[in-house]
Amino acid sequence: MAASRGGLVLKAVKKIMIQFCPFENNVRSTRDFLTMVGSEKARSTNINCEVTTEVKHDKSEPVIDITFIDGERLVMKGAKLTTQEMLSALQARCSAKDPQAKAAAKK
Amino acid sequence: MAITEYIPPKPSAPPGALAPPTRKAEQESGLVKLLKKDLQTVFNECKMVAVVHNNATNSEDMLILKHRLHRHNISIKFFPHQVMRSFLAGSRYRNMEPLFIGQTALFVSKEPKVREMLQVLRGTPQMVLLGALIENTLLSQQGVVGYSRLPSLTSVQGELVSGLTMMTSQTVSMLQHHPAHLSALLQQHLKQQQTGGATEPAATEDAPKAEEAA
Repeated sequence: MAASRGGLVLKAVKKIMIQFCPFENNVRSTRDFLTMVGSEKARSTNINCEVTTEVKHDKSEPVIDITFIDGERLVMKGAKLTTQEMLSALQARCSAKDPQAKAAAKK
Repeated sequence: MAITEYIPPKPSAPPGALAPPTRKAEQESGLVKLLKKDLQTVFNECKMVAVVHNNATNSEDMLILKHRLHRHNISIKFFPHQVMRSFLAGSRYRNMEPLFIGQTALFVSKEPKVREMLQVLRGTPQMVLLGALIENTLLSQQGVVGYSRLPSLTSVQGELVSGLTMMTSQTVSMLQHHPAHLSALLQQHLKQQQTGGATEPAATEDAPKAEEAA
């Protein structure tokens, strides 16, 4: 389950909050997403980014809530999404925000 | 003339080529059986089995975690999911099955030391407690937290006993209220008689008052 295009860069992410109910059947993709985001490689790209996990037991859907540094929020409901879709959505937004910061820093 | 030509029979395909590839029924390898036996002993002996999702803990964190848990006699075990699933499907812990997705670890211990385990887990943010089987009851994360907050068995028994005897003790105190009051008054009367003979008229006044109150 390799991440697309060489790794996840989380520089533009402030906080990732993942909540799910482990006794449900639709949490596989969310848990895999959590493992990918919590891996050493992804965390090393941004040490300030907090990854919090909440374990609930109320048959609610798994929800991933990502807050970016510029205030934008990305909410993904992981019940019917695959891990790849979620990862690519996150990565698209990260790379969209990141070159702006890099270009601004260079200039 | 063409009819009388010899038409050689087509050679049939060799017998091996046409047979469909039969998959042999997979037999459980010896390792799987061994792991299953191990799982059986774990579930029989340990009162507490907690399932924890781990997010890529590196080896030093794992060592520190193992050390902290070892102080409370909690051991960490890893089993492959297939073995786990086939074992759980056969036993009566079927409802634990959906917990085992992705990277999981099992914390097992003979005594249910929930509070210490929760404290250790709070120190490692990568390990996420999913659920636990404590004394044959499957608990979620909130259940585990609630279990840790329960007072010990002796204090609960003490509270129960005191609640039950509250009514009877109230009755007893009500019955004994009047004689106790009378005896207190008589004791005071005695003290006053002893302290001063000059207060005798006051003491005799006290005595009829005490008799009226009784």
